[in-house]
Amino acid sequence: MRKVLAVAVNTFRETIRDRILGVIILFALAMIVASLWLASISLGQEGRMMKDFGLVAVSAFGLVVAVFVAASLVRKEVEKRTVFVIFSKPVSRSEFIWGKFVGFGATMLVVVGGMTLFLFAVTWAVARSPSAAILVAGLLVYVQLLVVMAVTVFFSTFSSAVLASVLGICVYVAGQLSHNVLSLTQVSHSEALKAVTRGVFYVIPNLSAVDLRASVVGEGAARWAGVAAWTAYLGAYVVIALLAASWSFGRKEF
Amino acid sequence: MSATVQDTSEKQAATTTTMLEASGLRKTVAVGFFRRKVEILKGVDLVVREGETFGLLGPNGAGKTTTLKVALGFMRPTAGTVRLGVGRQELGYLPENPYFYDYLSGAEFLALCDRLFAFDAAGRTERVTALLRDVGLERAANVHLRKYSKGMLQRIGIAQALINDPRLVLLDEPMTGLDPVGRIEVKEIIMRLRQRGKTVLFNSHILADVAELCTRIAIMKDGRVAWTGEVADALGSNGHVRDLESFFMEVVRA
Repeated sequence: MRKVLAVAVNTFRETIRDRILGVIILFALAMIVASLWLASISLGQEGRMMKDFGLVAVSAFGLVVAVFVAASLVRKEVEKRTVFVIFSKPVSRSEFIWGKFVGFGATMLVVVGGMTLFLFAVTWAVARSPSAAILVAGLLVYVQLLVVMAVTVFFSTFSSAVLASVLGICVYVAGQLSHNVLSLTQVSHSEALKAVTRGVFYVIPNLSAVDLRASVVGEGAARWAGVAAWTAYLGAYVVIALLAASWSFGRKEF
Repeated sequence: MSATVQDTSEKQAATTTTMLEASGLRKTVAVGFFRRKVEILKGVDLVVREGETFGLLGPNGAGKTTTLKVALGFMRPTAGTVRLGVGRQELGYLPENPYFYDYLSGAEFLALCDRLFAFDAAGRTERVTALLRDVGLERAANVHLRKYSKGMLQRIGIAQALINDPRLVLLDEPMTGLDPVGRIEVKEIIMRLRQRGKTVLFNSHILADVAELCTRIAIMKDGRVAWTGEVADALGSNGHVRDLESFFMEVVRA
């Protein structure tokens, strides 16, 4: 555990110092410009528009950082040969994978947390309609991104960084749509098709189940028990993806 | 010159601990788009005993680095065996052309390496400071590694290899990229390790340094050990003294 923590602290330090927090500044600038524009065109709905737009922006900015950094998180260490230093010491490949993930997870908490707090502050300042639900929604965006990060790390253990990034984004998109696909195919008369789509539904992480954007903007109430259960499911998904990444990385030769 | 493995110290072998032993070690890798098989190691037999300063020599592509990588578990042997006489806790390793974390300072990097051994935090600062002093980098302790020169990186690399006071030290091209002062400093470090009874194995193309530092050498050629024995035997005796360079050329041209 101490070794996982040592790798994690190092990863956090590296990623933070690598100017990754510039994303928050970029987000802040985008939010200020967008909120001024939305306030001018939304006819009394600026609070709702800003929350909706803001949460989409938190997800989009977070996704870009999560996927592209996660794809190179392990690969960079192999390409730059720092793995030789790490693995000549009593550190297992599994400890390394977990450490890298935990460290980057901490960085992403700062990134997503920073963007969410800024969104909260802007909706308060411009639209006078702050909502604690924004903070919960931001936390669940973070949970979604953890899943995408874990899956991308897994892909990066056996593919190029570009391919791992593309696959990570595909999983994110599929995860947002999987519930809809299941609903649509249930109207089919083919039992085989239903079985296949149900199988696909369980394999692809159901990210839309923890998307609280609709309830934040007042288009429906969140079912908290369901959200908690799906969050636990996504937590298990992260663990399985990292176990698979550890197994795949353990077979790799440098 | 015979291309078979010779060893003139069989009596010594019976009484000392073996720190590295390779027997019939083979390694084939797949290269290029069509995964063409290339045999890098073609049956390496090698023994390094405790307390020796051992030089692993050979032209580029002879298999020196691959032998070390297989010994360290970075690669799996295709056939044969390789065994280290110590665990990771008692091992130090400097990779060839080392590259470290850009955004860490020298002191932070050594502290990370210390943590990877799960050593107690008490005394960490003292251990790191002492090592930085030993390799002549105490003034650069707080400078980020991306600002280090090649020679400084080589020295911090040696420092990380010694953080655990190892019994076996494997140095892959420790003199590469060093100016004459840096080379002398590294030689002094190796001499101090030798005086303290540590086992040191290093690769080098600078044969004068090898002749000065090593007790035994092995010369690799085309994936095999072409000659192994005492440095004194290589240099000749009974008034028939030659330099290591001419002996090396005899072996690799045979």
